[in-house]
Amino acid sequence: MATKARVLKPAAMPPRSIGRSLLLTLPIAVWSLLMFANPQRHLIRSEKVASLITAVFMIALFFLMMRTGSTYRWRRFFFVALGVLFPVGFIHTVMVMRGTMGIPIEEMIAGRTPFCYLPIPLLILPAAFTKSLVFPGSLLPGGGMSGAGMAAMAGMWLAITLVVGKGWCSYACFFGGIEEGMAAVRPRAKLRKIDPRWRYGPWAVLLAMVLLSLALFEPAYCMWLCPFKAVSEYVAARNTVGMVQNGIFVVLFAGLVIALPLLTKKRTQCAFFCPFGAFQSIFNKTSAFDVKIDRARCSPCVLCKTACPTMSLTDESIARGETLMSCMKCGACVDVCPKQAVVWHIKGTEVACKPERARLMFLYAAWAMAVMFGGTVIAGGLATILHVFV
Amino acid sequence: MATPLILGEALALGLASGPACMASCGPVLVPSLLAERAGLRLNAGFLSAFLGARFLGYLLFAAVAWGLGVLLVLPQAQRLLLFGVVHVLLAGVLLWYAYAAGHTCAQSCAHSELVRISVTKKRGLPGAAALGFLTGVSLCPPFVAAGVRAAGLGSVAAALLFFAVFFVGTSIWFVPFVGLGCVARNEAVTTVARMAMVLIALYYAYLGFVMLMGRRVHGY
Repeated sequence: MATKARVLKPAAMPPRSIGRSLLLTLPIAVWSLLMFANPQRHLIRSEKVASLITAVFMIALFFLMMRTGSTYRWRRFFFVALGVLFPVGFIHTVMVMRGTMGIPIEEMIAGRTPFCYLPIPLLILPAAFTKSLVFPGSLLPGGGMSGAGMAAMAGMWLAITLVVGKGWCSYACFFGGIEEGMAAVRPRAKLRKIDPRWRYGPWAVLLAMVLLSLALFEPAYCMWLCPFKAVSEYVAARNTVGMVQNGIFVVLFAGLVIALPLLTKKRTQCAFFCPFGAFQSIFNKTSAFDVKIDRARCSPCVLCKTACPTMSLTDESIARGETLMSCMKCGACVDVCPKQAVVWHIKGTEVACKPERARLMFLYAAWAMAVMFGGTVIAGGLATILHVFV
Repeated sequence: MATPLILGEALALGLASGPACMASCGPVLVPSLLAERAGLRLNAGFLSAFLGARFLGYLLFAAVAWGLGVLLVLPQAQRLLLFGVVHVLLAGVLLWYAYAAGHTCAQSCAHSELVRISVTKKRGLPGAAALGFLTGVSLCPPFVAAGVRAAGLGSVAAALLFFAVFFVGTSIWFVPFVGLGCVARNEAVTTVARMAMVLIALYYAYLGFVMLMGRRVHGY
């Protein structure tokens, strides 16, 4: 079966006409222009150019999705750009503000820590018990991110999450792009046999970190395990503990974000480690969209299982005609299926009932979010590069 | 002599401190309960062994606190040594537990049916007791408050009684943990519990070694 799977080629969907593709792209084009041509903000030249490039980039990618019928291939350009340009903009900002990427303890105590969405699941229980946040961001005016800002971010996350579920991890998260890029470097995986039990890793990290955060009253994940501290804002290492923390960040980043994606062609940090991803999986149950397998068409060649970057398809789940709840809705399995048996689906409808319509509805929601959230980050990173180097 | 007022104080202190005790024991108790078999009765048995051993730890602490009267004013180096050893032992027991759960599974889980952990009852209860005892002798803030009060009582019996009542107050908060017995056990749940135990054990081992090196962490 494996040999057979290798020779199968995805059945190319006949391309849409240019006119129809443009028409379908029009709502996203209008949305992008609204997002990037904000007349109320006074932009400097590099920001204007970056906004323009980003708007064209996002509109062009959506147009190509409409024209070719392929989702994953074009989304990946956006996602890698997001993953690479986020640290560029972020590091530049902290360097300008503080002169170093290391955050000293006084700054943490003062609450001058940018709020990131990753600790959201870790904050819920301590907040329920104590009515306070175990995050060194401040709710006080003038003390870092304002309460309104933090609430707005949490509210935006919740609204988006209820619609796209774990699609957040493929269209909004600014951490997954680097590993997706690394996973794309080699044509074939070097490490192919991965124990499927590693899929439970994110849940274990989530459980351990929630319990430790509650017990120790510190954001345990941010303090000890976040691989992205290595490329954003690490602990100012003034003592042994700081050195140990930074050592852990660097080792995890090098292993889970660089080396393992390169060897396995999987998003290893997202699939085997990220506690936010595990938490986000729960919202796949509330999302209206999912990916299904039309059993009448499926051979099964298991190309989808091989292509899935998060190991969210197993033989059993394929037999059931569905993905696991860890599915990030990236579209890799849909693109690769030679029989077009893997389809986008709206819950409550028949499987394979107008799957392209389901794809369009999902993509409008997901891409609007991508433009608003990721597009802003990409524009920020580009503006930094233009401002500093050009 | 422990008057009803003092016992009432112990109970109130226990009830008030319960959430802190629950949070402090959660990292040890939740994964180890999830690694056990499902069922309210089985989980209640595990929790009883855990709490019983924790009670012994409390009584030992009360006797030492009253008898020596000095535990809380021990030189910092000795205190760090004591609690460093406790943390390292706790990490060791958690690691052993995670390994033992997997070992049992490897022998009994031929295929992907529900994983049956701890088919022999021999491992579960001693493991729970070891974990309970080690968490019982850790110095969490409410425990220190109770220790200070017990140390000032007139006799060792009064100190022991004070701690017993304090224990009852805190233990009420642990009852909801029995509900974890209702969580269906399958390969996913037990594997997640075992992996979480390893992570938590590594953290406790780190805390223990840092304390053994003479550095203060988390107020110890």
